[in-house]
Amino acid sequence: MAPHPTSQKQMTAPSDERLVEAFQAGDLAAFDLLLLRWERRIQGTAYRILGVEEEARDVSQEAFLKAFRALRGFKGEARFSSWLYQIALNLCRDRLRRRRGKAFVSLESLEEEGGHPAPDAGPSPYEQAERGALLRRVREALAALPDEQREVIVLKEYEELTFLEIAQILDVPLSTVKTRLYRGLVSLRGRLERQGLRGVAAVAGAAQA
Amino acid sequence: MTVLETKDMECTNYRDLMIEVLYGETAPGAEARLAEHLAACSACREELAAFRRVRVELRSDPLPSLRPARRLRLAAWPPGLVAAAAAVLLALGTGLGWLVQLERRFDQQEARHAQEIAALEAALAGRGAAVDVASTRSGGFERFETLLRESESRQSRHVEESLREFAERTEAQRRYDLARVSAGLAYLDGRTGQHVARTTELMGHVLQVAEKK
Repeated sequence: MAPHPTSQKQMTAPSDERLVEAFQAGDLAAFDLLLLRWERRIQGTAYRILGVEEEARDVSQEAFLKAFRALRGFKGEARFSSWLYQIALNLCRDRLRRRRGKAFVSLESLEEEGGHPAPDAGPSPYEQAERGALLRRVREALAALPDEQREVIVLKEYEELTFLEIAQILDVPLSTVKTRLYRGLVSLRGRLERQGLRGVAAVAGAAQA
Repeated sequence: MTVLETKDMECTNYRDLMIEVLYGETAPGAEARLAEHLAACSACREELAAFRRVRVELRSDPLPSLRPARRLRLAAWPPGLVAAAAAVLLALGTGLGWLVQLERRFDQQEARHAQEIAALEAALAGRGAAVDVASTRSGGFERFETLLRESESRQSRHVEESLREFAERTEAQRRYDLARVSAGLAYLDGRTGQHVARTTELMGHVLQVAEKK
């Protein structure tokens, strides 16, 4: 793919593609800039998906290490950011899988071995942030979604990516992205409304009625 | 087929469109098509309104102020160090900035760990134990390292992979190792308190065994 000139902000902010090229040409500082630019968003995405700050930090760190290692061979077929999101999402999925496996094992082992909790079991994801009933409700509703639906909701709602970008990151057809969004919204709605409309939703609901 | 079923099927056909309109990513004419359907279908009208409320709720949840994963930012350094690093950076050219930061960080960490070890030795001596401090220390550290290795197996997998991949490129190898070391250290940094406590406990056991003997 030929690098196309970026008319805007070229002086102050080189594009990701340029930074990738610079890094591949041996300028290590370019990676620092990429990291500074994307770290918060990657970490935020991981946090929305995993619900635990510390795990989100680990995922972000691992994702950038993986990126650092693999960037030399990065061909630019996808956007750098899409590639980075892909790496981070895979790491999140690994963790969710491990978390579920661990939860299953620990039920038995805890009882039989007199309870020796796994070192990183910690408080449950949503116990950590006591930020009021409304926010907890939103997070619990999000956490209750199937992983596939939570991923698209997070990428769309919080990362504000386009349907096309999400489709590329997840490597699924556009229609699948929309279907997952629809299903995710249906179950979020169901869950939030079952718990009784409060806060903003209650106000909005009352205005509608 | 009842009227209701026909209607449900029809609504299903508008789902993608509803999502597009909801997120403002529509093809030309799409909104008008949906509006036409919504005018005739209260269920879909209600659903779209509910989705908008869900979106408002989702967005009412702010991201906590996340700490950065990496602790190598110059901004996080004491002012004296920043000045020193800046001088070094100027001398070396910015391309090496990253390496310099990593190496600096490494030195700092090493110094801190040395201090922690010294503190533990002092604590042991304070208990008046007739134990060879050096051997206790190495014994303790073997255990300490085992614990570390267990809790950081993913990090070590990184090392092995990278060692294989970069074996033929010494310079790249060196850069990556430094990055990995810094990541390990940042991780360690976060866990140091915990590990020190654990190490102290382990040393306590070693001490007890030694005393029994």
